Amino acid sequence: MESARTGVPKELQRKDDGVLQNLNTALLVVDASARITSSNPPAEQILGESAAALADEPVSRWFAEGGGIELIARTLRDGERFRAVESFVTRRDGTRVPIGISWAPVVDSTGERCGAVATFQDLTGLKQLQSQVVQTEKMASIGQLAAGVAHEINNPMGFIHANLFQMAEYVTDLRRVWTGVDALRKAVGQGHAGEILDASQQLSTLIDEADVDFVLSDLSKAIRESQEGSERIRHIVQDLRDFSHHDTNERVLADVNQCLDSTASIVWPMMKHLVKLEKDYEVLPSVWGFPMQLKQVFMNLLVNAYQAIEEKVSESGGMGTIQLVTRAVEGGVSIHVTDSGNGIAGDVLDRIFDPFFTTKKVGAGTGLGLSTSYSIVKRHGGRFEVSSEEGGGATFGLFLPMGDEDEVVDPD
Amino acid sequence: MVLVVDDEVRILSALQRTLRREGYELLTAETVEQAFGILAERDVDVVMSDHKMPGMTGLQFLAQAAMQRPTARRMIITGWTEEIPEEELRRIGVCALITKPWEDWKLKATLRRALG
Repeated sequence: MESARTGVPKELQRKDDGVLQNLNTALLVVDASARITSSNPPAEQILGESAAALADEPVSRWFAEGGGIELIARTLRDGERFRAVESFVTRRDGTRVPIGISWAPVVDSTGERCGAVATFQDLTGLKQLQSQVVQTEKMASIGQLAAGVAHEINNPMGFIHANLFQMAEYVTDLRRVWTGVDALRKAVGQGHAGEILDASQQLSTLIDEADVDFVLSDLSKAIRESQEGSERIRHIVQDLRDFSHHDTNERVLADVNQCLDSTASIVWPMMKHLVKLEKDYEVLPSVWGFPMQLKQVFMNLLVNAYQAIEEKVSESGGMGTIQLVTRAVEGGVSIHVTDSGNGIAGDVLDRIFDPFFTTKKVGAGTGLGLSTSYSIVKRHGGRFEVSSEEGGGATFGLFLPMGDEDEVVDPD
Repeated sequence: MVLVVDDEVRILSALQRTLRREGYELLTAETVEQAFGILAERDVDVVMSDHKMPGMTGLQFLAQAAMQRPTARRMIITGWTEEIPEEELRRIGVCALITKPWEDWKLKATLRRALG
């Protein structure tokens, strides 16, 4: 629809030449006061309105949440351009549609800024795909852990299994002693001194043969140890189950220390034979975000750190160290994972965040760990840094802002 | 005389329990250092070692143990599901590989055979 108002510069008027109307990309044009002067069908579909309902409306009605207003204001006021910023549209019924949006100022024939134009896409499908990729990568990293986890379960399984077998033997031994007790009781009931004496001697023999004192004390010990073993297995399974959970799409307040520590406790058993883990946690403010995704980032960093140490130790022997340091810093929290592994060569360092780039041997990595971690940190509005020297270990540091519930993530 | 090396003390305890009536002396070590100490003093017939241990793998340990006690039979007992290469086992002269959890009768039979 043509804007009802007069005086709308022709630069802002709706183009009915069919090109914009048939464009697959959503398009909105606003005037200097951020009122909609023009829209096309994809925009109308994303906003959930007819062209008539959009015309002349303040665009803030749909872009009020998620930082969209800020972009419009900066475009209109300062002539700034924004490209492919992730945000969302809030429809009149309150539903949110994730979008990627670009804003550019519109200049009239005299060179004056007279409005702004936005192109945007519905990212719902992409978001779903993204969360699938994140989940797939997470399952792949669990796959890599599987051998370590199996080992951790097989150890307690080993002694529980053996103990059960022995405990069954002990019960057989004790049952044999019990037949002696029973015989003695019957003899006492009958009251013949000779038989009582016989039965009593018989019982002593049985007790000696069965080594009852030892059996009784070792039976309790075997039960205690097996209980502890089954508790350990229960923990491992529980941790894994927690780790494989999905996040919801809503941001929640995340306890970063807890995310880091629970992830460390999952990977610790697989690395404890090679690694000394040093934890230095500070009390941290909660950050808005996706805790399961943060755990995945930490998992990737820990597994990488461990593999770097494994490589180094296989040459030089001994043990390695992984340090986990968390700090409350201005505006958020910082996490540093430092390993004493074999480090990262300079030419590799430039590529470690590239998707499918890996230096690991076939089957040991997907090449997606760090690139997924990188996008997760970006999604939190955070920063990733890495420093390393070949042969001299590596430090991965990340900063996560406190954020808020509806934070917009600017990918640049 | 049998020496078992495992950093998991509960495994050592379960093995002692299992082999209590087998009629040979069972020595246990939680670390490879302890194990080397025992090997230096005692004439051990069989050394059975865990594979994944701090600081040294079971194979590395058995290779060194072989230098200390060349005549002792060598075995690996492991919960590690990844395969240990055959040629490695042969090179170090490992005569048996037992997986955790183990079968009692199999373990006992294997040890009896090794002790001749």
